[in-house]
Amino acid sequence: MSAPAIQPDDLGRARLRLRLEAIRGFAGRFTRRPDGLLGLAILTVFVVLAVAPDLFVGPLETATTGSGGVLDPPSAAHLLGTDEIGRDILNLTIHGTRISMVIGLLATVVTVLLGSVIGIVAGFVGGWLDTVLMRITDFFLVLPTFVLALILAPIILELVGTDAELFGIRLTLLVIVIVIGVTSWASTARIIRSQALSVKERAFVDRARVIGSGSGHIMLHHILPNVLNLIVANTVLIFGGAILTETTLSFIGLGDPFQPSWGQILNAAQTAGAPGLGAWWYMAPPAVSIVLVVLAFTLVGSALDDVLNPKLRVRR
Amino acid sequence: MGGRYLGRKLLQAFGTIIMIVVLNFLLFRLVPGSPDRILLRNPNLSPATIAATRQRWGLDKPLIPDQLVAYLESTASGDLGYSLKFRGQPVVDVLADRIWPTLILFGLGEAIAIVVGLTLGAYTGWRRGGPVDYVGNGLSLVLYAMPYFIIGMILLMVFATALGWFPTSGMFRIGASYGSWTDQLLDFLGHLALPLTTVAIGLIGQYSILMRSSVIDTLAEDYITTARAKGLTEDRILRAHALPNAMLPAVTLVAINLGYLIAGAITVEVVFNWPGLGTLTVDALTARDYPVLQAIFLLLSVAVVLANMVADLVYGLLDPRVRS
Amino acid sequence: MTDLHAPGEGAPGAGSPAASSTASSGASGATGAGAGTRVATRRQWPLPKGADPDAPLLVVKDLRTYFTLGDQQLRAVDGVSFTLNDGEALGIAGESGCGKTTTALSLVRLLPANAQVTGGEIKLFGVDIAHKSGAGLRRYRWREISIVFQGAMNALNPVRRVNEQIAEPVEVRLGLGRAAALRRAGELLELVGIPPKRGRAYPHELSGGMRQRAMIAMALACDPAVIIGDEPTTALDVMVQAQILELLERLRRELGLSLILITHDLSVIAETCDRVMVMYAGKVAEEGPVEVIFRTPRHPYTQKLLAAFPNIHADRRTLEVIPGSPPDLRTPPPGCRFHPRCSFAMEVCSREVPPEVTFADGVRVACHLHPPSAAGS
Repeated sequence: MSAPAIQPDDLGRARLRLRLEAIRGFAGRFTRRPDGLLGLAILTVFVVLAVAPDLFVGPLETATTGSGGVLDPPSAAHLLGTDEIGRDILNLTIHGTRISMVIGLLATVVTVLLGSVIGIVAGFVGGWLDTVLMRITDFFLVLPTFVLALILAPIILELVGTDAELFGIRLTLLVIVIVIGVTSWASTARIIRSQALSVKERAFVDRARVIGSGSGHIMLHHILPNVLNLIVANTVLIFGGAILTETTLSFIGLGDPFQPSWGQILNAAQTAGAPGLGAWWYMAPPAVSIVLVVLAFTLVGSALDDVLNPKLRVRR
Repeated sequence: MGGRYLGRKLLQAFGTIIMIVVLNFLLFRLVPGSPDRILLRNPNLSPATIAATRQRWGLDKPLIPDQLVAYLESTASGDLGYSLKFRGQPVVDVLADRIWPTLILFGLGEAIAIVVGLTLGAYTGWRRGGPVDYVGNGLSLVLYAMPYFIIGMILLMVFATALGWFPTSGMFRIGASYGSWTDQLLDFLGHLALPLTTVAIGLIGQYSILMRSSVIDTLAEDYITTARAKGLTEDRILRAHALPNAMLPAVTLVAINLGYLIAGAITVEVVFNWPGLGTLTVDALTARDYPVLQAIFLLLSVAVVLANMVADLVYGLLDPRVRS
Repeated sequence: MTDLHAPGEGAPGAGSPAASSTASSGASGATGAGAGTRVATRRQWPLPKGADPDAPLLVVKDLRTYFTLGDQQLRAVDGVSFTLNDGEALGIAGESGCGKTTTALSLVRLLPANAQVTGGEIKLFGVDIAHKSGAGLRRYRWREISIVFQGAMNALNPVRRVNEQIAEPVEVRLGLGRAAALRRAGELLELVGIPPKRGRAYPHELSGGMRQRAMIAMALACDPAVIIGDEPTTALDVMVQAQILELLERLRRELGLSLILITHDLSVIAETCDRVMVMYAGKVAEEGPVEVIFRTPRHPYTQKLLAAFPNIHADRRTLEVIPGSPPDLRTPPPGCRFHPRCSFAMEVCSREVPPEVTFADGVRVACHLHPPSAAGS
């Protein structure tokens, strides 16, 4: 054989080069979107706050370590005032960033994992498995998932107990994570399934089959990479939605007063009668944070969607 | 519209409702021994009484099929059990009092939002650009990111607490006696104003954004070019060609939204202390009043399923392509 | 095929489009007066204000339509002139992007927001409609010039019945009552070969061919002076294509229709049209009677275009391909726009825009190979 044989290293290096080019191209297109960049900037700020809240405001104030008076309006000592047991609102809000974001992140992971796996399997395997999975998915889509979440939460809480801990994290937090995950996966599954279906029809999948690749291998190495774009854009939007859901669930009282997320702070505010007393400083910080973060996720998500999944629209 | 289409939708709805009822049943038996726990809350009950009560409630029979069948039967006949919190009152009665305040608040809110939101969206979609468009778009985006109850809290603080134009909670003045029914009506409307505005604002944002993009998409279609080529006036093109097509995604959205509306419903009622199903749910939650929670879940799920079915039927009326 | 061009009218205007179009309309002037009468007598509806039934049906002079893209201008139609006489079928041929559709749509200003007719005359019955707008322009839409679009699936409103869509212009533009309009819709459907009962169907319930027929019926609704067919058969399979073309032929004969047919498919033009206008990059390359041009194409582009079509009767040979691609109309090449791809390009072709020259056989060409002095051959 006189033709130069292709070495495995060459293939690997070629693949790497292509990946880097793809990433650079993507970065170039993304940075041209001002809305995506704004969203990213906002998120970065919040992520920084979430990672090390103690650096900014010290440890989380509790009922015993509350540093101010009862429902003090903002002052030099307490930039955002205090709550009904004397805790500094700024302190609470910044610590709430970590809790809200962590819950959101975990819930998103559960949702996207569950939805993607079901979507890819249903779309690729097809047949009766697809039918069964889609019936279940459609059922969950019709169900008012919020009510389901409401009901699941106390049930799981009873199962778990209110003081259980795992690696120092109170399990009550995980309850909300599970509840959100179990009730939100359906729309992701639908979206991923239709994408998997169209990928399945493409030629390279047939080629993979012909050379003997197993279903699992095909799903992992061929379907998944081509669905990844959609998953990524979807994940960002789900993250925003998860934060909204967690906020609402906590507001109703399913949160953990010892690890106050933003929703939990608002719950405490409502219970303390803050709106009727005009204690706007109690409600504004968590509310503004929620809106900013969800807005940021929406902006980034739609910018990502446009960049990763360009829609070809032919107009005359 | 084809009878087959109607029949199919009815059957689907019915099937889903059955599945919901079964799910409802399973959920509450999931918690290990939950009816027993309720019993065990009272430490004074003797084991014999517990056993007798279990037998009376049919808890000693196997879960499936006996308990399930019994549950289905009693649900179908309207017996939803007895409330734990409200000491033995039938759940149906507990719910009955609270349904119509919720219906009024959200029925009206939805109706207002549909009319205003779709009109606003159609207008901004038709006349793109200009200050109304940009401001409206930005506002809608922000409103979308805001949970309803935050909107409610803001409104309450500004208009009720600060300005004092509206009462801060409840549906009627506590302990009020009215000279005439008009007085009562005015009091009711005064209490209704802020929560209704909250619900409407949240929904209007969503509907107008969707309608706007739907109208923009529709205007790019070829049949609009045909309509222009026919020499029709812009007004007629909008009314007879653009809107009937642009409305279709809006109908779908209204239907999908109903599920999410419930989350908003519950929280808005909490903020304004509106005595509807929402506050009932939260109270039952706190008290772990499972029979009431179960019944609410059933009611809301069935309502959403039926509303979805109605939306499907309306869509079928508007779009002949789905009927075949 | 009706012979609308009397030979012998040779005098070419020295490169001015005005002169050449006068020449060609003069050539058909013999039948022009009679053609005007044909329109006037066949019509049921009044002519527009100021219209002269004896004037040539449609005279387009030096039409220019430019698109604004950012800070650049795309010169999609850059000085196009032609004449359509009553009862004639004119085919406009050319590659995608040569401006043929834009030319036709410019007649009734059915252009996207960033396009504008920046110059020229469009005279229908002698009335210049190029500068009309609003209600004045609307008067001409559909009632004088109607369009059959390509791919009628999207060109018909999916949520309204077909007969209602046909009746709509009759009701709204002609002022007939709803019942009368629907009756006329039924007549029109029958005319195009669709049983009137089927009129109550929705567009998605009809086959592609039937939809196109419905579009033709709709275009006939207000008894227009001119019908423009924008690639009316392109989206159809060959059998259905033949049926539609047959229908158009029949309607032309029975109703004396005047047709502008836009297509890239020269075989369609050969079958249906009296005259053909070949466009390239926004300008007219060659225009004249179909038989003459197909037999003796003068412009190199026309020659290449014809050569690119396989001839079932000729010897088998490799199909010729035109090298290169059409120019970017934001920065068209200087001189003749075809010169970069032309195998006969001379030095003058890259400097000067070739003037239009009319020949005795009725053909108009814009090419330096045929300078004004060479005409009359």
